[in-house]
Amino acid sequence: MKAAKSVVEIWLWGGPSQLETFDPKPGASRDYNGGLKAIPTNVPGMEIHEWWPKLASCADLFSVIRSMTHGQFGHESATYLMQTGRLPGGGEVCPAIGAVVAQAKKAGYGGDLPPYVILTRAKGRFSEVGFMGAEAAPLVTGGQPNAARFAVDGIVAPEGVTDVIAKERFELLAQLDGWRPAGGANAEKAAAFDAAGDEARRISEGDAAKVFDLAQETDAVRGAYGRTEIGQSLLAARRLVEYGVPYITVNVPGWDSHKRHFETMKRRSNETDKAVAAFLKDLAGRKLLGSTVVWMSGEFGRTPKVGWESPWNGGRGHYPRCFSALVAGGGFKGGCVVGASDETASAPVARPVAPQDFLGSIYELCGVDPDGPMPNSKGKKSALLPPPSEAGRLHELYAEEG
Amino acid sequence: MPLSLQRRDFLVGAAALAAWPRCLLADAPPGQAAVWENPDGTATDSVMVRRLYLDLAGRIPTKAEAQEYVLSSDGGKRSALVDRLLASPEFADYWAMRFCDILRVKSEFPINLWPNAVYVYHSRIRAFVTRNEPWSAFGRALLTSQGSDFRDAEVNFFRATDKRTPEGWAEAVAQTFLGITPDALPPARRAGLSKAFANLRIKNTREWKEEIVYVDGADRRPELCNRLFGGRRAEVAAAFHARIRGWIFGPGAPAVSYGGELRLENVLRKIALSDEYARGSVTGGFAARRLDAEVLDDAICALSGASRSYQSPAPEPFTYLPGGRPTVCVEDGSISSSFLSLFGRPARDTGLEDERGSGVTAKQRLYLFNSGRLHGLLGRVVMPGGWQKNPLSKLPVPQRVGDLYWRILSREPTDEERGHVMDLWRRRRERSKGAKPFDLMRDVAWCLFNTKEFLFRI
Repeated sequence: MKAAKSVVEIWLWGGPSQLETFDPKPGASRDYNGGLKAIPTNVPGMEIHEWWPKLASCADLFSVIRSMTHGQFGHESATYLMQTGRLPGGGEVCPAIGAVVAQAKKAGYGGDLPPYVILTRAKGRFSEVGFMGAEAAPLVTGGQPNAARFAVDGIVAPEGVTDVIAKERFELLAQLDGWRPAGGANAEKAAAFDAAGDEARRISEGDAAKVFDLAQETDAVRGAYGRTEIGQSLLAARRLVEYGVPYITVNVPGWDSHKRHFETMKRRSNETDKAVAAFLKDLAGRKLLGSTVVWMSGEFGRTPKVGWESPWNGGRGHYPRCFSALVAGGGFKGGCVVGASDETASAPVARPVAPQDFLGSIYELCGVDPDGPMPNSKGKKSALLPPPSEAGRLHELYAEEG
Repeated sequence: MPLSLQRRDFLVGAAALAAWPRCLLADAPPGQAAVWENPDGTATDSVMVRRLYLDLAGRIPTKAEAQEYVLSSDGGKRSALVDRLLASPEFADYWAMRFCDILRVKSEFPINLWPNAVYVYHSRIRAFVTRNEPWSAFGRALLTSQGSDFRDAEVNFFRATDKRTPEGWAEAVAQTFLGITPDALPPARRAGLSKAFANLRIKNTREWKEEIVYVDGADRRPELCNRLFGGRRAEVAAAFHARIRGWIFGPGAPAVSYGGELRLENVLRKIALSDEYARGSVTGGFAARRLDAEVLDDAICALSGASRSYQSPAPEPFTYLPGGRPTVCVEDGSISSSFLSLFGRPARDTGLEDERGSGVTAKQRLYLFNSGRLHGLLGRVVMPGGWQKNPLSKLPVPQRVGDLYWRILSREPTDEERGHVMDLWRRRRERSKGAKPFDLMRDVAWCLFNTKEFLFRI
C-alpha cells in the first residue's frame, strides 16, 4: 500500500460525547440520550447523531470507531495516552504522533514550512514534542483564520510593514548585527543563528506564506467550510495538505461539557459538522483524500448518564471507557463502523480499540513502522509504541490495494 | 547526552582549563570587535555589565544601570556590582528558577505536585538562595523530610518525581546531588541508594491533594545524608560546582574546584570575579549563551513597559498570576505561554539540563522578525511611557539612536552604526518629506532585537 503523504488531526479538546457524535443510542432512556435522535447516513445501515447532518451526507468518505477505550480520566494523562500511545511515567516524556510523523517524513518533504503545523493554538498543558525538544516543535499559527487577513504569527508580516520597509530593515540589520566571534563554539552559534535567520526569511518571503492567504479561495468555498474558526482552520489545513506538509493538527477546544452539556454540544457540533464535511468532500474532490489520513477524536468521551441535577444542569463528566473516533482517507476505508458499545455507550461489547492500536494504524498507513524505534535525534532507543492489544490494529479498515 | 554535567565532563582538570579559552587568542579582534572586547582579550565594560546582570539577576540592565557601570572609573566597580546583585531580590528569583528546573517544580503531568505544593516548595527553594544556605544543608533538609506537602515544603522532593518508589528516589538523589543521570547510574549504586528509602511512604489525607510523606519503620535516610554530605562531600561539591559552571560557562566547561564551598552565592562570587569570567567572547573564548526564554520575555516587557499575566485553567480553582511580575518569578512549570515554549523553557519533566532549549531555530527568528505582538511592542520601546510630553520625541535622531542602543544593548553605538541609521533616515526623507523619526526608530529597535548581541549573553 502506498504510504499516506499527510495527516490531518482534528482534535476535539476536552472530550466530546460519544452519544452526541457517532454512537447515538435512540433506544436508551432520556437519562442517557437526552431525548435526542439518530439520523441515517448515505451509507445504508449506518446512523450517527442528529446534530451531524452534513457528515451524514458523506459517510461513505469516513469510518467511525465506536469502541475506543482506555482508563485515563484526567485530561492531561488521557491526552498523553491518545497522542503517544503510552501511559504517563517511565522517566521520559514521549513526543506526540504529530512530532513523530513529522520527524519521520521530514527528509522526504521539501517544503519551506515546518513539517508539523498546528492551527491555531497548541493544546496547552501538553508537550507536543516531549523529549525531542525545540527542534521538533510545531509551527503554531496563532491568528484568526476567519479574519480578513490570517496573520500567522511570524510567517505573515505585521500590518504596516510593507515590502520596502521589510527590505530596509533587513539591510540595516545586516549592518548592525556585528558581533562575529573569531572561531570556536561561539562562531558555530553565530553561524547557526544566521542560518536560522536565512531559513526564516525563506519561509516568510517565499511561496510558503501564501499558503495561509485564504483570500485566494472563493467566497463559495470559504462559505462551504463555514466562516468559523474551525471552518477556516480546516480550509487552511487543506491548503497545507496541497503544499505537502506531513502533519497538520487542528485543535478545536470547547468539548469539556461538565455543565449544560447539550447547549454546548449542539453549538460545537453544528460548526464542526459543517467544517469537517466540507473538508472531506473538498479533499475527495481534489483527489487528495487517498493520500491524506484524517482523524478526529478527543482524549476521551463523556459519562453516558446525564447529570441533570445542579450544579451540572444536564452535564456529562469525563469518560474514557468507551468513546468514538472518526478516520478517513490515506488508506482507511470509508462507510464502515468498527466496534460496538452496549445499550448506553458505557462499554465496548465488540472489538475494543486501544490508543496504541489506533495510533499504530495511522503510523502504518503513513509508512512509519509502529513496531520500530522512535525516530529522534537524541539517541533514545525507545520503541515507538507499546505492543498492540489483543484486538490489534485496525487492519479491517485498510483499503484494498488498487 | 541527557545531562550536560555528567561527572566525566567536570573531572577534566586544571590543565584543560589552562588550555581551553586561550586557544582562540591567536586571532586578533576584527575592527568593530573593540565594542565587545579589549585588546587583551577581556570583555569590555558594556559587555561585562550586561553579563553580570544577566547571570546574577536574570535580567538586562536598564540604561541608567549600564551607564553607571560603564562610565564609572572606579577600579572596584565590578566587585561592588557583584555584591549588589547578589543581594538583590532578582538574584533570588532567577536562581530559584534555575533550581526549580532541576527539582521539577510543576503542578501537573507528569510530576503532579499540584499548586499548593508548588508554591510552598518554590518558596523553600528561593529561601535556600536568599539564606545562602549550604547545598549540603539544603540537601539534608530535603532528604530527611517528613510531613505534609502543604506545610513541610521539603517533602516535595519525594513527590516531584514521576517514580515515587525507592528506586525513583535513588535516581533523583543521584541526579540532583551527584550529577549522575538515571541511565548512567551503576546498578550497585542504585541499589545502595534505594535502600535508604525502603521505608518511605506517601499517603493521602482528606484534604484535596494533600499528601503526607512519612517513614514506616527504621529511617535510613540520615545515614545516607551522613555518607553523602560527609564521606562523599567532595563528590557532591564537584557536582554542585560543575552544575553552576555549566549554567554560567555552558556545557563542557572544564572543571574548577572551589574547594568545599557549597554556598551558591559564594561560588557565584568567585566565578563572577574570576579572570575566566572576564574573558571576551570574540577571541577570548567566553562561551556565549542564548538568553533564557523567561529572561528574553522579561527583557522585551521591560523595554516596552508591557506586562505579562499568566493563568492556568486547571486544576480548579484556576490560578491567576497578576501582571507586572517578571516571567522569571513564575513558580509553576505548568504555567507557560507559546512564547516560552518557542524559546525553550524547560518542561521540568525530568530535571535534566538539556530540557532547556538554548539553540536558535527558524521559528524563533520568525517570531522576532514578524510577530504581531512584538511589532505592537516596538512602538512602546521607542516611546516608553507614551507620546504625551515624552522628552524623547524632541531629541534629534542621532541622540535617539544612542538612547535606543543604551536601553537595548547597554552601550553607545559606534560612529559607523549611527552612520548606517542616518543613511537610512536620509534615504527615507528623500523618498518622502513626511517620513517620521518614530517609524525609523521602530525599525532600529526591530534590528537591535534581532542582533546576536541582544539575543545572546556574550
